[in-house]
Parts: sequence; structure tokens; C-alpha cells
Amino acid sequence: MWRNVVQRLLLALPVLLGVLLLGFLLMQVVPNDPAVVRAGPTATVEVIEAIRRDLGLDKPLAVQFGLYLSRLLRGDLGISNINNMPVATELGNTVGPTLELMVASLVWSIPLGIAMGTVSAYRRHSWIDRIIMAVSVAGVSVPVFLLGLGLVWLFGFYWQVLPFTGRTGPIWTLEGLAGIALPALTLGGVFVGPVARMTRSAVLDVLGADHVRTARAKGVGERAVVLRHALRNALIPVVTLIGLQIGFLLGGAVVVETIFSWPGIGRLAVGAILSSDAPMAQGTIIILSVGFILINLAVDMLYAVLDPRVGQT
Amino acid sequence: MKRIATAAIAAGLTALGLDPAAAQTKAPLTILRVIDADRYDPIRSTATAAVEALFMLADTLVSLDFDLKTVKPLLAKSWTVSPDGKTYTFDLRQDVKFCDGRPMTAADVVYSLKRWIDPAARSPVANRAGKVKEISAPDDHTVVYELQEPFSDLLYQLTLAFASVVDKASVETLGANFGVQGFNATGPYCWVSWTPRQELVMKKNPYYNWGPPMYQNPSPQVDQVVWKVVPEANTLMAAMQAKQADLTYYPPLFSIDTMKRVPGLTVQQQPDYIYDVFFAFRVNKPVSDDPAIRRAANMAINRDAIVKAVYFGHGTPLRSLLSPAVLDYDAKAAELLPHYDPAGAAKVLDEAGWKPGADGIRAKDGQRASFIVYGLRDDQNPRISEAMQADLRKVGLDMQVQLWDATVGWGKLATQEFDSFMMSYPYGTATEAMNLYFKSTQAPTPNRMNWKDARTDQLLEAAATAVDPAKRTEANAELQRQLTEANVWIPIATRQLWLVSSDRVGGARPHGLYGAGLYKGLDLTLKR
Repeated sequence: MWRNVVQRLLLALPVLLGVLLLGFLLMQVVPNDPAVVRAGPTATVEVIEAIRRDLGLDKPLAVQFGLYLSRLLRGDLGISNINNMPVATELGNTVGPTLELMVASLVWSIPLGIAMGTVSAYRRHSWIDRIIMAVSVAGVSVPVFLLGLGLVWLFGFYWQVLPFTGRTGPIWTLEGLAGIALPALTLGGVFVGPVARMTRSAVLDVLGADHVRTARAKGVGERAVVLRHALRNALIPVVTLIGLQIGFLLGGAVVVETIFSWPGIGRLAVGAILSSDAPMAQGTIIILSVGFILINLAVDMLYAVLDPRVGQT
Repeated sequence: MKRIATAAIAAGLTALGLDPAAAQTKAPLTILRVIDADRYDPIRSTATAAVEALFMLADTLVSLDFDLKTVKPLLAKSWTVSPDGKTYTFDLRQDVKFCDGRPMTAADVVYSLKRWIDPAARSPVANRAGKVKEISAPDDHTVVYELQEPFSDLLYQLTLAFASVVDKASVETLGANFGVQGFNATGPYCWVSWTPRQELVMKKNPYYNWGPPMYQNPSPQVDQVVWKVVPEANTLMAAMQAKQADLTYYPPLFSIDTMKRVPGLTVQQQPDYIYDVFFAFRVNKPVSDDPAIRRAANMAINRDAIVKAVYFGHGTPLRSLLSPAVLDYDAKAAELLPHYDPAGAAKVLDEAGWKPGADGIRAKDGQRASFIVYGLRDDQNPRISEAMQADLRKVGLDMQVQLWDATVGWGKLATQEFDSFMMSYPYGTATEAMNLYFKSTQAPTPNRMNWKDARTDQLLEAAATAVDPAKRTEANAELQRQLTEANVWIPIATRQLWLVSSDRVGGARPHGLYGAGLYKGLDLTLKR
């Protein structure tokens, strides 16, 4: 298993290099000049040129990329073009809040989605199945910004019971929990629907399988049939979906972080790209790419846990 | 039902210690804004987002009253100007201390001002200091500012945050991280921490009692101030309405009437605020180089309709090159600006030989009356440009709109690709505004019109170097008339500054220097 992990990690290196090159090239085609951004709207051409030289932007593209890679190999992510802060420091400050937000979103939405899907499958064609599927379809259909603003209006403005303007403290404190509640409800909210629908579909398939019929014939209780025999076997496609959706969560986090002023990596990435802050944008690309690669690796490893046959192939 | 649900949820959360309203009573003064600055170094930070905080963190030699015209003492208790207008002598207060407790001396002022104009520092705003001959400190409480030629705007420019006095040791210790990881100056509030894109935290300067005279309190009244970034306009509005913050002067325009009706919120306007929106032509490009096109365009634009639709009634149509609120505004020049008259615009174009084509767009000598406008994609520009496009099409002019994201836009506006552009800017005096945009040496940026005219340059020089205020006013008046008649700009609107404060806050009054709504923030109090 560990050999497999190492192999996968080594295979990820060229992917990462490609992502870095693509990110670098994309930053070049953005019609923006960091020197102009830094100089401000009233600066003269001379000042802009001087700043361009200071930032090393007068060098050929290949040289700029080569210098960037060599710094990267030494563990130096560089300095922000805009505020002179070390990129690593900025990333360090924002990765934590984004991870917090993702964990807080997943910790309730995955169990709820699986539970809803299982109940829906077990009670298929009943009124509860219809309600759950209606909620799931709504969850899939509602844009994340609309859900976010709706929750702000309801809990923040109408009832005035939860804060919604940024991180209010570490997640293990009551203030921190209050601050993360609405962003996590929003981000997790868009997760519940797909998980519930996939779980329902997978559980329905398994409930009709031979081993479930055999279990029932042997007199195994319904709860054990559903939870032990049906649900566990239905989880592989659900885990695949969760793995893919977690990647999309990174995209959703950008929107949620903007609505709730959450100081995460999504906002950092958007800000860096918009201000042509190449070192910072590249830093966020590295983190997001590595995150995506690791999530996929973790999902693959989880397959082996759920279905031992996967690890043997 | 709502009351029962609210009470039940609030009781539950209060029991857990999570009630936001309860937490607010213990919280510092929280100011909401939509964007953060790139850094807080006075000589390098030109954005309003930096300046609004720097006014609280640092002081300048002189200050500006709420009328945005009258210069008042601050670090300098008085000053004299030599008869030739070239030497300003400032008598400094002797009770001023930095946040670290060190007394401020004239050497600190000299260091800070020289740092501003040092070519090696590459400040984008160094030209605002005038043509400096020498800045010196003959003793610990006197600063002599010598110019190569008189500069009538100097005192106004010295009120701006770029001329802030900072601590040399702090600058040298922090190096490029000055204003990023720390800051030491003599402002009413001291730097505590900055989390980029999230919040800037300041605490009261314990020594501060030298506030400018237009404030009732010479000392800050609030222990801690937090500038919090909320980029989403709807969230910001909801946060103010839900009392999760104390102050903002970034309310979305559509929300102002609503906020006025919300119990516990006070909405105030700064009547003397100057932040103009204009449309400008490149005068060295085909089509836009024709004065008839420019005049007709000025006549075709319906400012009143644009302001009503785009600013929700919270903007002012601008019917002159410069705001009527500005020093040296010339009413006669305003009379030269063409009035809204689409029929008259068509006549001007007909007489100039621009004939309508089959598609309704005019042409002359095979050249279509078509031009590209560049601008920033902000809250207002898309709708302003669409309205202008419709107005211009009615008289046979084709305006092609290309708007860019704010940061991309500045790069595009530094190119030579466009025929015209839209922009908005804060300014304090006519001399400042026109020297910035119309001086031939300022082309191609910020003189993006590429307006190069010997008489304009003469008048700009005369206004900038006038020792006699009457001569400065005269030069500025002629300038406004010349540029208005040339129709280089289409003035559109003056933005308004709205300050929204919660009932927890006392002493809030909008200021607006360089867009900074709170300026020194000295009279601000927290009632609970």
C-alpha cells in the first residue's frame, strides 16, 4: 500500500510542474501590469518603469520562470509583488481557515447526505422519499451565493443570532463556532444534495443484490441489513463523488469566503490573480493543486479500506 | 411567530454565550470597508484604503477642515510663508510623541518629507511635494521647507497622508516591511496588527492630545479600532443593519434609502465632498481629435438621467469641468459647457461634415464616427457607459465600450489603445486636478488625453506657482474656460460620501479628504 502511495506521489510531480507552468503562463496573458498596479493610477511612466525593474518584470519570461522554479526548489515561495509579505506566511495564514471551513462543512453534510440518501432508498416512493429528494434537488440547484445570502438574511439580519463578517476565533471556541456556523452551513449545504442522491441510487442497487436477499433470508434484522450489508457496499461510488466534490468545494470556498469575509485561501487566490501578484498566485496554485492531488490519493486509499479487493489489484 | 422564533434562538445562543449583540458591547469600534490596501507606507500607498487608515495612524504638519478647503494646524502650530512664496517655515508643537513614547522633533519631520521626495524611494506621489530645494531643521521645533519655485498647493498637499511624519528607526528596522508588519508614528491611533484582506487593528495612542482644532476632542475617545474588510456589498449592508459593525462609508448606493429607515442607524452625507466622474477623449486619435465630435458628444449626454438611474439619486450631475465645491471653481467656465441638446448635437455634426450612414452611424471622408472607451468595471461604470452609448447612438456616434476589472484596468489605461476613457478621482483644489491631468509632461499617463497645449502649460504653471491667490484663481479660471471650450472632458457626476453609523457610536461626522470618510476619527465615542 505504501509503495502505491509513493508511486502516486511521484506521478503527481510532473502534474504539479505542468500546473505551475500553466499558472505562470496564464498570469502572463492576463492583460495586467503589476508595476502599474503597484504604482497607482496617477504615477508617471518613469515611476512605473522603475518599479517594473525592481520587480524583475523586465527579464524574459523563460528567465522569470526559471528563477521562480529555482527558488521553489530551495523552499522559497517568494515575496508578494503587492505587499512584500512572504508568500509562505500569507499561505500559512489562509490555509488554516480554509481547512477549518471545509472540515466544518463536511463534518455535518456528509453524514446528513448519507443518512438522507439511505432513508430515501429504504423508504422509496414514500412521502419521506419525495421530500428528501425534493430537498436534494433544491440543494443541487441553488447557487452557493444565493444560499449564503439567504442564510445571512435569516440568521444574521432577520433573527440577528449569528455573526457573518469573518472569522471570530478558533473553531474550538464558542465564538469561533458561532462565526463558522453560517459559512459552514452554506458550503456544506451544496454538498448534501449530491451525496444524498448518489447514496440513494447506490443503496437501491445494493438492496436488490443477492447478498442482501441472503442476509434477510438468514433472519438478519432490517437495521443490520441496511447499515452493514447494503450501505457499506454502496459507499464506493459515494466516496468517489465525495472526493470529486471536495475538489469543487475549493471553488465554492472562494464564493463563500467572499460572502462571509472568511480569511481563506480562496479569497487570497482571487485577490492575487486580480492584482497580478504572480508569486502569490503561484503559491495558491501550488497549495490548491497539492490539496487536490492529496484528496484524490486519500479517496483512492479509502477504496481499499471499503473494498479490500481494490488494494489487491 | 417571528418574535417567538427569534426569542427562542437568541435565548439559546445567549445561554451558550454566542449572542452577537451581547458580544458587540465588549467589542472595539468596528469600521467596515470593501477593500484592503496593499500596504500602509505613506509614500507608497496611494489607494484610499491605505490613506483612510494612515490618517489615523500618522499626522501631517497641517490638517484640513471639514469644509475640505481650510488648512488648519496639526503638528505645526503655526507657519509663515516668505514673500516670494518659496520658503515655508513651520513652528512645531513640542508635546508630540510617537506611539513608542519618543518625543517627535523637527528632524523626524525632515526625515519623513525627504523620504517622500527621495528619487530612490520611487514614490508615485513625490510630485505632490512641489519642486523642493531643501527641507531643513534649524532647531528641534522648526522646519524650513524651501522650494525652487512657489507652489500654491503646497499646504493642501501637506495635509495628505503621503506627507505623514513617521519614525525613522521603525522605517529602517522594518525595511520593506514598514507598513506591512509594523508602523510607528504620531497619529491618534497606534498600529496593533494587520491581517491582509481581513482586518487592521489599532489602539489608542496614550500620549495623543494634539488633535487638529476642528475636532471637539484633541485626544482619541475609543480604545481600539478595527478596520474590517467585507468585500460583498450585500453582506456589508446586512452587517450594518444587524449591528454587527459600528461604521461604514462604503454603503452600496441602492441601500442608502433603506439604511435611513433602519432604527438605530444614522446616515450622514458630506456636502463638500469632491470625487468626480468624467469621460475623456484622446485628442490625438482619429475621430476623437475632432472638436466637433467632442462638442456633439457633450451635448448628447443626458447627465440627469444617468445620475438618476445609476446613482439611485445619490450622486450629483456634474455640469462643469470641476466640482462647484472646489477652490477656484469658475462659474463662467461652467456656462461654456454645452447643455443637453441632442438636436443641437446632430446639427454640430452635420455642420462639421459628419453625415449619417446606412446604419445610422455618421462618417466623414470614409472615417466612421466610432471610438473605443476604456474604463474600470466598478459598480457604476457599466451602466453609465451603456447609457452614454445609447445617448450617443441617437446622434449618430458609435461608442464601443471596453471595461476592465479594477486592477487590470489601470494597466490597460496606461496603454495607447483607447480613443476615450472613463475615470473617477478625488481632489482638493483646481490647481491639483488640472496639473495632474492636463500638463503636457504628464502625458501619456496620467494625462491620458494626450492634451499638449502651450497656453495650458503656461496657465498651469501660473496657477501652481502663484504667490498671490487672486492670480492663481485667475489662471485656474482661464484654464477651466479653455479646457471646457475644447470639450476634452465630458463631466458626468460627483459621487457622494455617505457615512452610516450605529446607535452605539457618538461623534461620527463624515470628512472625505482623499476619500477618507473619518479622517482622524477623534470625536468618535462608543456609548456602550
